Amino acid sequence: MGQIALTIDGLGGDFGGYKAVNNVSLTVEDGELRVLLGANGAGKTTLMDLVSGKTRSTEGRVFLHDNDITNWEEHKIARAGVGRKFQIPSIFKDLSVRRNLEVASCRNPGVLANLRFGFSQQARQDVDRVLELIGLTEESNRLAAYLSHGQTQWLELGLLITQNPKVILLDEPTAGMTQAETHKTSQIVNSLKGKHTVIVVEHDMAFVREIAERITVLHLGQVLAEGNVEQIETNPKVREAYLGSKGIG
Amino acid sequence: MSEKRRIETAIYLAFFALIMCAPIILDPFWLNRIAKYLVFGMLGVAVALSWGYAGILNLGQGLFFGAGAYMLAMSLKLASPTSLQQGSDKPVPDFMLWNAEPGSLTDLCCINKASFLWLPFQHQWFGMLMGLVVPVAIATVIGVIVFRKRIAGVFVSIITLALVLLVRLVVIDAQPVTNGFNGLTDLGWFRIGDFEFDPYIVPTYYLVAVSLCLVLAAARLLIETRAGLILQAIRDDQNRARYLGFDVPLYQTFFFAVSAAIAGLAGMFYVVVSEFASPTFMDLTFSITMVVWAAVGGRSSILGACIGAILINMISATVSETAGFAEAWKVIIGLIFVLVVLYLPRGLAGLAHDLIDRLLARRNTPSRGTAEVSDASQLAE
Repeated sequence: MGQIALTIDGLGGDFGGYKAVNNVSLTVEDGELRVLLGANGAGKTTLMDLVSGKTRSTEGRVFLHDNDITNWEEHKIARAGVGRKFQIPSIFKDLSVRRNLEVASCRNPGVLANLRFGFSQQARQDVDRVLELIGLTEESNRLAAYLSHGQTQWLELGLLITQNPKVILLDEPTAGMTQAETHKTSQIVNSLKGKHTVIVVEHDMAFVREIAERITVLHLGQVLAEGNVEQIETNPKVREAYLGSKGIG
Repeated sequence: MSEKRRIETAIYLAFFALIMCAPIILDPFWLNRIAKYLVFGMLGVAVALSWGYAGILNLGQGLFFGAGAYMLAMSLKLASPTSLQQGSDKPVPDFMLWNAEPGSLTDLCCINKASFLWLPFQHQWFGMLMGLVVPVAIATVIGVIVFRKRIAGVFVSIITLALVLLVRLVVIDAQPVTNGFNGLTDLGWFRIGDFEFDPYIVPTYYLVAVSLCLVLAAARLLIETRAGLILQAIRDDQNRARYLGFDVPLYQTFFFAVSAAIAGLAGMFYVVVSEFASPTFMDLTFSITMVVWAAVGGRSSILGACIGAILINMISATVSETAGFAEAWKVIIGLIFVLVVLYLPRGLAGLAHDLIDRLLARRNTPSRGTAEVSDASQLAE
């Protein structure tokens, strides 16, 4: 049993009386890849918002290793080691692909510390390596605005990999992708296993099968079940609540 | 890319050389005029930095310009002979004497309730210092409040616009210390050591021209730093930058303050060459005019915005003095603006970038099609 990377303890978010996430507890090990499954409105994205600081939680705590990061400002949570990819891909569209990754490679967040030119050998190598991994080496000098949808998603993944956080939260990384693109994305995500702790929100079951180790199912803001693909597929509660009688996929 | 960098450097150097050579052909009257336009060019740099690179459309840049101008003008007013004419050896601005209540002491400390504020301005260095400190301080306070609250886009423009009008009202209303509508006139000459900068002599022109070159180079280098890159990333997607761990308001405030400092500096130079400071500096029209300069020149180019400011002012000066156009010149300027926004959204600088790219592409790979050219031209940004 590895070390626990992320601990979510009784987390809840109250939106004017409506609890989108209610008393969710979850632990994710170092280097684990966890999939969050659930129907629309189950609270998956909200849970990511609460962990990454986008929304303030009203109860419960979040720990990154032994660090209590509950309700910190977003950039502080990011600096502590939680990276996040959004459902709608967000990148720096008026900068070239390489410049995008260079931004993510700045290790020191301060203004004055960055009043200098160029990047270290190490940073340049990191950027080259990531470009290779996300398959955008050829496009490195193109403006990010001109990338295809799939390439944009990969670039955002690349930003996260360059940022190199301990925990990576991915919100629907294959949304709007073709089958081939989805397959490539699963390769990228699989390459993160072991190096990073990854939490993925996803609907696409083909993709989930390609990457999943453990799955947590959320339903109406609460944890419904947890287990590997097989266990989840055969879990009667999950079938009833989310998958219907057809089973997964 | 590096070839492109060399061409850009060459263009900067050519511009520096051009403004350095101007005194050879210009008479003192035009020299003084061009010096004013160079000051406006400096304002263009300030606008490009905040609008083009930080994505903050400041419609109240005149606030910082005016603050810089007034601070130095206060010192120069006290250095003016008109402030010593009243038989006293201590300077008192003439307008304070005219408005003094009967029997009040004719001394800066207490001729009216607020006149003591002028005391430290007897030292010119204090006025110069305040000309930078005040704009930067105002910008920092605005920045901390506005950017921490994550106000963005058009709302920042509205807030800055309202602020410049507010400050203009306060300046006009504080007549006993600011001379209200009339502003500060009859100023003494700016001096360094024993040298007096008469606005119509060549050294004064060079004072402005060299400063403009330094500001241009510094601003261009600043956006070339990693912090400049991060600033552009924040402009494109604040949220993404935030989740990469950058303290977004800190970056915005820093560059907003740098832009304010450049505007304040421009305000001081304007006072040196034009010998007055007035509330019109904080008119809304003036702040909007600056934005037009930057839009025409190219807001995402430091030098472009600077040249835009100088060109528009030269054109409007020439056109407005040509018989037959005297009435129509504002229409002509308006027309230029509309045409540029419609057909050159990246301004003259964007046009220049495209031309350079086309030339480079033709020279390097004569066989390639035009599709690649347009890609490369976008990269130039």
